[in-house]
Amino acid sequence: MSAIHLQNLVKEFGDFTALKTMDLDIADGEFMALLGPSGCGKSTTMNMIAGMEEPTSGKILFGERDMAGVPMGRRGVGFVFQNYAIFTHMTVRQNLAYGPRMRGAARAEIDRRVGAIAEMLQLAPLLDRKSDRLSVNILQRVAIGRSAIMEPAIFLLDEPLSNVDAAFRAVMRTELKQLQRQFRQTMVYVTHDQLEAMTMADRIAVMDHGVLQQVGTPLEVYNNPANVFVARFIGAPGMNLLKGRPAESDRGLVIDLGPLGVTPPLPDEIAPPVRATRGEVLYGFRPEQVALAERGLSMPVSFVERIGARTIVHLGEGENAVRAVFENDVGLSIGQTAVVAPPASSVRVFDAATGLAVKAG
Amino acid sequence: MSAVTATILENEMGARTKPATPDEGSRLGFRLTLPAQILVLFISAFPLLMQLYISVTDWSPLSGAGWWNAWEMWNSFANYTDLAADTRFWSALQRTAIVMLVCVPAEFLLGLALATLFADEFPGKRIFYSILLMPMMVVPAVAGYMFFMLFQSGGPVNDILSRIVGTPVTIAWLSDPNLALIAVMIADIWQWTPLMFLILLAGLVGVPEDQMKAATLLGANAWQRFTTIVLPKMKTIIIIALAIRVIENFKIFDTLYIMTGGGPGVATETISVYIYKVTTQDLIWGYVAAIALAILIVLSIVAVYAMKRMAKAREVPA
Repeated sequence: MSAIHLQNLVKEFGDFTALKTMDLDIADGEFMALLGPSGCGKSTTMNMIAGMEEPTSGKILFGERDMAGVPMGRRGVGFVFQNYAIFTHMTVRQNLAYGPRMRGAARAEIDRRVGAIAEMLQLAPLLDRKSDRLSVNILQRVAIGRSAIMEPAIFLLDEPLSNVDAAFRAVMRTELKQLQRQFRQTMVYVTHDQLEAMTMADRIAVMDHGVLQQVGTPLEVYNNPANVFVARFIGAPGMNLLKGRPAESDRGLVIDLGPLGVTPPLPDEIAPPVRATRGEVLYGFRPEQVALAERGLSMPVSFVERIGARTIVHLGEGENAVRAVFENDVGLSIGQTAVVAPPASSVRVFDAATGLAVKAG
Repeated sequence: MSAVTATILENEMGARTKPATPDEGSRLGFRLTLPAQILVLFISAFPLLMQLYISVTDWSPLSGAGWWNAWEMWNSFANYTDLAADTRFWSALQRTAIVMLVCVPAEFLLGLALATLFADEFPGKRIFYSILLMPMMVVPAVAGYMFFMLFQSGGPVNDILSRIVGTPVTIAWLSDPNLALIAVMIADIWQWTPLMFLILLAGLVGVPEDQMKAATLLGANAWQRFTTIVLPKMKTIIIIALAIRVIENFKIFDTLYIMTGGGPGVATETISVYIYKVTTQDLIWGYVAAIALAILIVLSIVAVYAMKRMAKAREVPA
């Protein structure tokens, strides 16, 4: 009933195409994050789901029901705005009661529902506070409560944590996730912060330039990026990608990285499809999976960032730069040469021409 | 250690400015603000005191003595007791109140309707916007002549009415005691609705758009959004707009005086017109000072009340 299906969705603003065809199925009760850099079309997608904008073409279905022409107040959608859009001239109680009041619910009914939602969100002691001087986590709860009181089947959240300082974000993330467990609604969460998407979402839809790049669970997206964009965008820092050509060696298929030498042999399952690609490929591996080794890529250390728990070592320069993340301070300093090797199982290969991942056959 | 630091700091500061005691500081401040204070004294306090002084005398410019010698004609509070019994004054006050009670709400409602219209985009908005603001730019005296000519019995208003009705209409707008007041009010509404519109539009575009969207998503229709979000957010600005127009309208004079001269008879004689007549025709300036002072007090009460309401409204920031 509250599943969302987006079919061939397109949105153009004059000459500008914000969304170039999007197909996405969001299951009932799923927490789906729309993740991407600004201008990727994620907010446009959400606004169309909410009915604030009409799609240029394509369909939006809630369950079986086509939403075309259904105005935004009648879609049964809860929406939490980036800055919460709390009615600042009202009390917390008046904010919570707004929806039922506008629908003409009886006084006793409104009181009962406001009481129940306030209890659930721990807002009961704050009900008669003016809402212009509330802390941001309470604003978030009021915003969620104000929508939740309408019992929407679908909840849309538009970057609700982007105005919150970093330290507080962790608290808010936990709180949001708990709220979603309580309400059990389908949630669509727009963010440009991969940490939020990774920690909260059941699945992530990564978007760029109005195109859906990949849909998958956080670990799928992290471990098996579908293309170069996702590989670079997910992870902090993103995946290392080195340009090279497949080459045969006596130990199996390797990638010739030019001045950096050749890589260790590729694992057997991806060797055949890599062999089949013609032209250049990108040899990818996660900075976190790099280990110091006796044999591997020998590169000069150009910079070392020590951030307490982890050390990020920058190796090489320009196109051939590699970043390696170590759990401990590995004692490397600028100018030294490090020999690093990614474990064979963590290597991903992308077709340089198409940008797509070469999948194990 | 701290004593040493203090000494060093003192020396450093002493090198730049002379150590100033609080007393010296305030004396310097007084001297610096003195020119402005004298100016304020002359433009507000002096005329007020002079007015108060004259209002308790029978002084008139024809009495031969300078105004400073008005005490020779001291009549204590006779002017004020006369005022209380002056039926012409009270009916002028009543007329002013009628004009205000019709014009200000009409200007407010028209201004609000127009502002709501102009908050959205529509083709030709900029041109209409300029046209709409034009009446406000017209010199009131000129507006007076315009409406004086429009409302002549052979004038354009009657002409248009004749064409609509089909038979010749010869309404004597400005010489009928009842219609004259209506004509005057129409002119005032024409001229001052734009100001109301301008102020209210500024308030309207300041209503946060996301809160409007949130209200829509929660199921509020256009009227509900207007009453529950727009009006409460505009409370302060509405009070300001109404206060400006109430005070200005109370002083209605130029347009009206040119259109009717307060007539026919005293049919459109408002407070300002009455004061003007007493000043220029009867020349009893002691009495005029008393009337003006009484009105000043009434207007001040209105202003203070409005400001109090405003301060109260501001406790709930928009």
